[in-house]
Amino acid sequence: MVVAWAAALAFWVLAFALAGAGYRLLPRPQPLEELSYYPSGNHLRPATLGHEETAADLGWIRAVQYYGEHRRTDNRFVRMRHVFDILTTLSPHFLDAYVFGAFALAQEGQDFHAAEALMQKGLEANPQSGQLAFELGFLYYVRPGGRDLSHAAEYFEQASHQADGPPQSARFAAFARQNSGDLGVAYALWSDVLENTTNPAMREMAEREMRRIRRALESGQTEIALDHLGTPRVLVRH
Amino acid sequence: MNALLVARNTFREATRDRVLAGIVVTGLVLLAMTQVVGVLALGEARRLTVDLGLSAISLLGLFVVLLVGTNLVAKEIERRTIYNLLSRPIARHEYLIGKWAGLSAALWVVCAVLGVALGLLLAVRGSHGHVGSIAEAVYLAGLELTVITSIAVLCSSLSTPVLSALYTLGFYLVGEWSYDLRAFADKAQGMAGGILGVVANVVPNLPLFNMRTLASSAQVTSAGHLVIATLYALVYCGCALALATAAFESRDFK
Repeated sequence: MVVAWAAALAFWVLAFALAGAGYRLLPRPQPLEELSYYPSGNHLRPATLGHEETAADLGWIRAVQYYGEHRRTDNRFVRMRHVFDILTTLSPHFLDAYVFGAFALAQEGQDFHAAEALMQKGLEANPQSGQLAFELGFLYYVRPGGRDLSHAAEYFEQASHQADGPPQSARFAAFARQNSGDLGVAYALWSDVLENTTNPAMREMAEREMRRIRRALESGQTEIALDHLGTPRVLVRH
Repeated sequence: MNALLVARNTFREATRDRVLAGIVVTGLVLLAMTQVVGVLALGEARRLTVDLGLSAISLLGLFVVLLVGTNLVAKEIERRTIYNLLSRPIARHEYLIGKWAGLSAALWVVCAVLGVALGLLLAVRGSHGHVGSIAEAVYLAGLELTVITSIAVLCSSLSTPVLSALYTLGFYLVGEWSYDLRAFADKAQGMAGGILGVVANVVPNLPLFNMRTLASSAQVTSAGHLVIATLYALVYCGCALALATAAFESRDFK
């Protein structure tokens, strides 16, 4: 019996060493390679046998590892769009996947249109989500190469009307409208903020901006009401 | 009454089986693993715990049905203990119902243990809002397993353990795709559409018992859904057991 145990231990040690060597020396599938072979989440869904959420979670873990690995090395994210499309098709209410995927696509992936499309897909599947609307607004607000303040304001406003919209949505909407040059609407939005907030600092901000807008409208000099916002840039170099 | 006796005996046998204990331990280990893997999920640990936990309950339960349920009747035929049993004043339908009820009860115990463990784990992690949705999801998973058990009893009364397991697995797979079959039936034309529609209705509509998507975001389902799922499970089990009885009664044990 001792000989049998010793033989088993010896074989296990050998197997352990061989497996480690194989892992280090031989080619192996990269994270997300398997996911990339599926044309879409809709084709993957039947294979999950009703466990789409779990499959999406496992895909999420690998997507996060993929992002981290490439963020630390070559900053190339060629499969990210496809992967997040699969994840969000399997789990349409996985809000964080839309947000993380979109910002990663816009920044590291340098593919703003893919980011925008992903977030729009999220809002289609979750029309009542104030969180997603706010994040899409913010995506437009920090668009690399030039802020899209009109769209940003539109989605900040949408977020402010939803139950789960962040409390700062109304203020962001007013700020974005003001800086897009739409002073009339901005004034109305600041007026709403003033009416609905109990925060003294917010009240002061709303009153200040409303005074600026009034001065700009009265003098015809719109630029009085505008802030000098910088142009967002992608900080990651490929 | 006889059915209850058979059920009690089957329940005792199932709960003493190492497979069941192993399944419960596996489920608990999986739940523990979600806490380790959750670190990699970038803030989605709670979601991962709920999804993996509920999937584990469903899949491990299926495993029990395939390993134990498909042997329920076949094993007794093989060992010839069924002759002794059927020589007593036990109707064949009582025997089958008892087998089904006993194993279903054991599966409900497994669901309850793992469901409570999942709920406690979430509560310890500060997620109290999931209790209601977890309870509903576990209840529906229990109903799903009850339906699959009835199919396993049907197959077990007709065939060998290996074939019974394969048939049961086949019904499970097609059952999970039943909503896709309905969608195909709607789009297909002529006889193909008709055949697909019939198949979609014959197989158990298992997506009816799936509220893992809702539970993932701590949402509860409607009372109507629970009522319809419960009624469907009872009716489908009745149908499967009636077929099993018809097949079983025509068998001549010599």
